[in-house]
Amino acid sequence: MLWRRFLVAGVLVGVLLVSITGCGQTANNGGNTIKIGVEGPISGNWALEGNGFVNAVSMLAAQINAKGGLLGKQIQIVQGDDQGDPKQAALVAQNMVSSHVVAVLGSYDSSDTEAASGIYNEAGILQITPSSTAVGLTQKGYKLFFRTCFLDNSQGAFAADFITKTLGKKTVAIIHDNTTYAKGLADWTQKDLAAAGAQVVFFGPITPGQQDFTAVLTKIKNLNPDVIYFTGYFSDGGLLTRQARDLGIKSVIMAGDSNNNAGFVKGAGSAATGVIVTSLPLPNDLPYPEAKQFIADYKAKYNADPPSIWTLAEADAFRLVVEAITKTNSTDPHKLADYLHNQLKDFPGITGPINYDQKGDRVGLGYAAYVVNANGQFVLYNKQ
Amino acid sequence: MQQFLQQLINGLTMGSIYALVALGYTMVYGIMKLINFAHGDLFTVGSFMAFTLVASIGITRMVASPWIALVAIFILVACMVAALGVLLERIAYRPLRKSSRLAPLVSALGASTVLENALMLIYGSGYLVFPGKLIPDIQWSVGNVVFSLMGVLILVLSFVILVFIYILVQMTNFGAAMRACSLDHDAARLMGINVNRMIAHVFAIGSGLGAIAGVMVGMYYHQINFSMGFNYGLLAFTAAVLGGIGNIPGAMVGGLLLGLLQALVTGYISPSWQNAIAFLVLILILILRPTGLLGERVAEKV
Repeated sequence: MLWRRFLVAGVLVGVLLVSITGCGQTANNGGNTIKIGVEGPISGNWALEGNGFVNAVSMLAAQINAKGGLLGKQIQIVQGDDQGDPKQAALVAQNMVSSHVVAVLGSYDSSDTEAASGIYNEAGILQITPSSTAVGLTQKGYKLFFRTCFLDNSQGAFAADFITKTLGKKTVAIIHDNTTYAKGLADWTQKDLAAAGAQVVFFGPITPGQQDFTAVLTKIKNLNPDVIYFTGYFSDGGLLTRQARDLGIKSVIMAGDSNNNAGFVKGAGSAATGVIVTSLPLPNDLPYPEAKQFIADYKAKYNADPPSIWTLAEADAFRLVVEAITKTNSTDPHKLADYLHNQLKDFPGITGPINYDQKGDRVGLGYAAYVVNANGQFVLYNKQ
Repeated sequence: MQQFLQQLINGLTMGSIYALVALGYTMVYGIMKLINFAHGDLFTVGSFMAFTLVASIGITRMVASPWIALVAIFILVACMVAALGVLLERIAYRPLRKSSRLAPLVSALGASTVLENALMLIYGSGYLVFPGKLIPDIQWSVGNVVFSLMGVLILVLSFVILVFIYILVQMTNFGAAMRACSLDHDAARLMGINVNRMIAHVFAIGSGLGAIAGVMVGMYYHQINFSMGFNYGLLAFTAAVLGGIGNIPGAMVGGLLLGLLQALVTGYISPSWQNAIAFLVLILILILRPTGLLGERVAEKV
């Protein structure tokens, strides 16, 4: 316990020192290398993701260095293992500051990113997280903070856009389960549907684990919506779908991204066929040539698929820094941030075109629609 | 009107499952004045045993007719869970019979935790899906109202079991002995009734009924989970109190009423209010009739 207090005290003193000394200097070393930090859970429970980060960035940096480097300098990667622990993330952040990196790419989860972002901001280091989706991270007014993932609320925007534009439907029933995630997604979807001119004829919860959803579904059947959108978890989603079809409901059934798994199909049985799920695209389903190139390179080098979509988002974070440095001919993080905020337009990212708003949030819709085929597999939805 | 009929069917189907589980609660309470919190988990054990019989052992392939397989599943599972119930009574409740009323209650909570965690360790914490269709997926629709063979079967089976138990308790010597025990253990013993054996019998019957409800839930909803007994246990307990705990027709009335309330509140008010209103009605009924709807027959409790 005492030891832990010392640790916390040490971190606090460290933060203080950094904020005193860090403000005056830019994080540029002026030597023959450009240092870029990679922060992530390289060990611990999420080691898979952290190693994906390191692999992706090392590979891309090696490719650039082989072609003569950036602004005539070699790129040097500085690794920081925060172990998925916010206390560790603060220490990693200070280490990055004293290593004089230009930018840090990471961390993985929102808690770690939050712990480190204040330190980077004070020290004047550009930070791009590939995977921290918590909305609050970009609400702090940090000018040097960006992310290549989309926010928690962009799935709702995608669902609303998909229902009204791609499917061309007008009336929607939204079912959630009162959990923070599902209710949030339902709220955002409802708001965006209303803005798109669609009518939400039903908005209400089920009780998770109740197993019998026929009462809610009978009510919905009577309202006869074009689409039913379920934002809860697959354990309820499968049953709900099965019971809806048993009751003779003909509406298109859609579900949120936690239903994108085999458990949903098992629970729904044959009723799963034709259900549309909104989800982040799987790496192999990204249609962009940059994505195909990256995945091919990654497989050739590491003899394995990228562990998840976040590996690709980390690669994009690196490519953005390279792009900004090249275009501004500078390694001043403030200039790079200014470029990303104001001049970057439709940058061809691995995860799709990248644009930023003034808060450092990515603009656009990164989600995709999957439909369950007759064999119970999720395939990308193609408009017929 | 069609929506109303459909909600009635939904409510009756849900309610008859609550009623079956409530029946076990109420019988055990009647004879021991003990709320057997492990009852919901015995129900879950029933559905997992049926799952094992169907999915791992493949009972449907060993027997010629699916209907025989079905009856075999019900009987086998009911017997196994009845034995488990008796064992539970022997280990967790009988040693505490002479102690304060709180001790067996805590023991019941402990038994519930043990059963639940044992299921989780054996079967895993994920959802299990019942394979295939044991009961043909037959549906009828009248106008816009849909009802399924399985739903009708649940309703009929619950009612038949209720009538059977009612006759057993009210019209046989065995039932008379049971009622005597529920009134006064010592007086019953003086009359030459083996009270311990009577209590074991009641546990066997109550647990078996819970198991039958568990099998039905597995077959009807296809999806089971180690922790589902808590939810059903809570609702069934409510149903038992609603109808008057200790009263057998009361369990049926309470279960059906609770199911109907849930369906109609969802259909006509809002799904958010489903449980709030169901429990508000429970409170109102208990204020007006503290012994539950059919609770006045205190002398006949079993």
